Amino acid sequence: MMLGIYLIIIPLVFSVIAFFSSRRVAPFIALISSITSLFYFLLLLGSYQVVEHYLSFNTSIPWIQALRAHLHFGLDGAAVLPLFMTQLVICLSVLATLLKGNERDGKYYGLIGLAHAGFNGFFMAQNPVSFYVFFEAALIPVYFLVLRFGGPERRKAVFKFFLYTVFGGLLMLAAVLFLQFNMHSYLSLQTWEDFYKNRIAVPYQLWLFAAFFIAFAIKSPIFPFHTWQAELYSQSDRPSLMIIAAIMSKMGVFGFVRFNFVFIESVFRVYYYLIPLCLVGVVYAALIAWRQKDMVRLLAYSSMSHMGLIAAGVLTSTNLGIQGGLFSMLAHGLVAAGLFFALDVMERRTGQASLDKFSGLARVNPRFAAYFFILVLSAIGLPLTCGFIGEFYLLWAITEYEPYFGLLGGLTLIIGAAYMLRFYQKTMFGPVTGNASGFGSLGLSEDYIFIVLAILILVLGFFPASWIGFGQYVFEFMNFIPSK
Amino acid sequence: MMMTFILLSIAGLLVMFLGFVKQRNLIMPFALFAGVGALFCLLTQQTAWNYFLTGMVDLQGTPKVLSILLLLNGVALIPFLQHYAQRGEEEIADFMGLVMFSLLGGLLMVTAANYIILFIGVEILSIAMYILAGADRRKIRSNEASLKYFISGSFTSAILLFGIGLLYAVNGSLAIAQPIEASGSALLQIAYLFLFTGFALKIAIVPFHFWAPDVYEGTPTLFTALMVSLVKIASIGAFLRVIQLNADGLPGWLNAYFMLLILATLILGNLFAMKQQNVKRLMAYSGIVQAGFILMGFISMKPGEEWPVLFYFIAYALSSVVAFVVIHFVEEQSGSDSLESFTGLYKSNPVLTIAMTVSLISLAGAPFTSGFVAKLFVLNQVVSSGYTALVVVAVLCTLMSMYYYYKIINAMFSGSADQPFRLPYGYSLLLIVFTLLTLATGVVPDYFVSLLK
Repeated sequence: MMLGIYLIIIPLVFSVIAFFSSRRVAPFIALISSITSLFYFLLLLGSYQVVEHYLSFNTSIPWIQALRAHLHFGLDGAAVLPLFMTQLVICLSVLATLLKGNERDGKYYGLIGLAHAGFNGFFMAQNPVSFYVFFEAALIPVYFLVLRFGGPERRKAVFKFFLYTVFGGLLMLAAVLFLQFNMHSYLSLQTWEDFYKNRIAVPYQLWLFAAFFIAFAIKSPIFPFHTWQAELYSQSDRPSLMIIAAIMSKMGVFGFVRFNFVFIESVFRVYYYLIPLCLVGVVYAALIAWRQKDMVRLLAYSSMSHMGLIAAGVLTSTNLGIQGGLFSMLAHGLVAAGLFFALDVMERRTGQASLDKFSGLARVNPRFAAYFFILVLSAIGLPLTCGFIGEFYLLWAITEYEPYFGLLGGLTLIIGAAYMLRFYQKTMFGPVTGNASGFGSLGLSEDYIFIVLAILILVLGFFPASWIGFGQYVFEFMNFIPSK
Repeated sequence: MMMTFILLSIAGLLVMFLGFVKQRNLIMPFALFAGVGALFCLLTQQTAWNYFLTGMVDLQGTPKVLSILLLLNGVALIPFLQHYAQRGEEEIADFMGLVMFSLLGGLLMVTAANYIILFIGVEILSIAMYILAGADRRKIRSNEASLKYFISGSFTSAILLFGIGLLYAVNGSLAIAQPIEASGSALLQIAYLFLFTGFALKIAIVPFHFWAPDVYEGTPTLFTALMVSLVKIASIGAFLRVIQLNADGLPGWLNAYFMLLILATLILGNLFAMKQQNVKRLMAYSGIVQAGFILMGFISMKPGEEWPVLFYFIAYALSSVVAFVVIHFVEEQSGSDSLESFTGLYKSNPVLTIAMTVSLISLAGAPFTSGFVAKLFVLNQVVSSGYTALVVVAVLCTLMSMYYYYKIINAMFSGSADQPFRLPYGYSLLLIVFTLLTLATGVVPDYFVSLLK
């Protein structure tokens, strides 16, 4: 019996084993866990029939009867791309940690496994309660990952991150509880469909939406709720940062995909003000990224800029916006994981993370420069890389919504190209400085990670059609909801 | 039920006399055995001697559930008290006896159907606790705590008794279920005001909390655990009974009065807690805030729907007992209960750290712990009766509480420890069991709710 819930159970079980295993064995357990999950996911995907059954492989478990709360997980159109990205990035992150030798113990891999289970549960959640529970549950392992394995200033950084996210989470909890009790009592609220069909009374919509919006905006993060991000990124351990930047940042925008149709009657006009807010954040973050000397911070702000664009696109509530948003989540996940991994490679060899300290890497290690170039191009959104098609759809959707907004959004492409290319140029070209000369060649598994990412980036860039289609189903599904 | 009372009183006396025997190791098992025996009598519904105190105690329904909770709480704590004996305290027999008596007092409080029994229960519990607060008689702080507790406790008793007296003056009856006819008179309003203020003092909610942090801080930590769990649950349980039995006859302003107290407790309690640097004081304020949360469940309680509050009791008792036991061991090791002594605890003792972490995140209300589900139930009840503003405040206060709970967690997981310290396996095992229970009540709450119903 193929069930989506195994994608939660596999990492969970393996993480428990990893917790109690020795320093030498734990990495391999984590590797087995993540690779099993990846293959299991691909297996599910292979037999996933989108058109006939919107929702497949689902399991519903009665959880708290008094609250009519079910935990319900399954694979649907919206979940496919983020889930794929999750399995892949976790695999790569574990590999990247393996490269560091026995530096990390079983607790680390156990926490990674818990986070993995949490993310999978979050993306597969099929009703608001499961969605909320895993939104919070995935936070806890990440918190401990940074707290235990982060940089010297981690205590402050992780605390700030935690308070921000928990604040959003609590607002969401209040909203979810309210929804749960103001639904007609005969409905069991087992699926999103029950939830969407059951319109919420208009006077409440704005308040509920505000709670959800703040929760997601903090998690994404979206301007002006972003102040925790750069600090957390610069303090977390790099391989776990791959997970944080690639997967955790998608939780917020994924929330918009799930919830933005729910409040549509009274909130649709509010979107008209929120989309520019997101776009202002996009440009703002891009401008900050341009001025950064620290590479981690640069990538952190670049990540925030992308998230803002995705959120803006999704909030247009159009077919294009949703498709582009989901595809961009996948694309940005791959690119962010790749870029942070590249950063890890550089930092590990030279102990430096400042832009000024590097130059001429291309001459020392041309292969690394080539991989890095593919990542950078995809981050800029060049055609034929996976970054392009998603951003194109997003900008298209935004422009259709309001041409001026499209103009504002388009600006990000230019600034993005400017800072990413500057980043590339500064590190790769120019005279070989002291730090770069000791760079050496890439190890086999480093090569492997880059090659996997590069191939995926190019394949998704050349043949996006079958992937981007998943967003189409999401839109169709939401569109049959009455009283639009 | 009577069997339970009798067993506990006899066991309490016997344990005290066991102090004359040389075999000190017998004391704890005996007390534990008596506690389990009392629980057994309760669970198997022994009816012998039930004709004593007829009509003065309630033996079915909510009182029974509360009694089971209290006994479980006591039984869970008794093994840890052995640690005082191992440390060479001579008075272990007295401690155990007093713990048995405090259990008896708590049981009388929650089962009382008559104000006299209620008051006797309060006194038995309180007097035992006054002595236990001063158990560490060589330490000035412990003496101070005992005296403070005694004075504030006597004050509380006086206020309670005054309320009860006025009730008797109005209605001519000491039954907790008061006749409804006279509910209009001014004297009755005053009586209820005194009665409930007495309860508020006993439970320690803002602004009647002033005694709690000092007392909790000075008391030897395991007895603080008893205070925050047993005393608090017994007091709130007794309060619950009073409200339950007078569902129709309570004055109308009572809801507003308690709403005010709860708001003050949630907001001020959290604010006070946030600036604490001493973990024991911090947890004292945390207990105050949690009590506020439990009382929130009272505001909108419908008859027969007490289980959210009862569930909150389980969650709260589990987490706070574990937290205080951990504080006790850390204090024993480092000689201080400041936040600094928790720094790097993870490196020196992972079991303690994980037990503490789970109980703290449960108190804070993170998913898949008992505290989360408990908060959910209570908030749910409040939402469904329309006090949305209160829920918003409660949610914001939960955020504030996250700040100080995670302050402790942050400290435990960072920094380096001085030296590793070992915990005897028995204690570690118990802590692990409680931790797993905290998680189990969070993951499969339905099972526990069905037990409570």
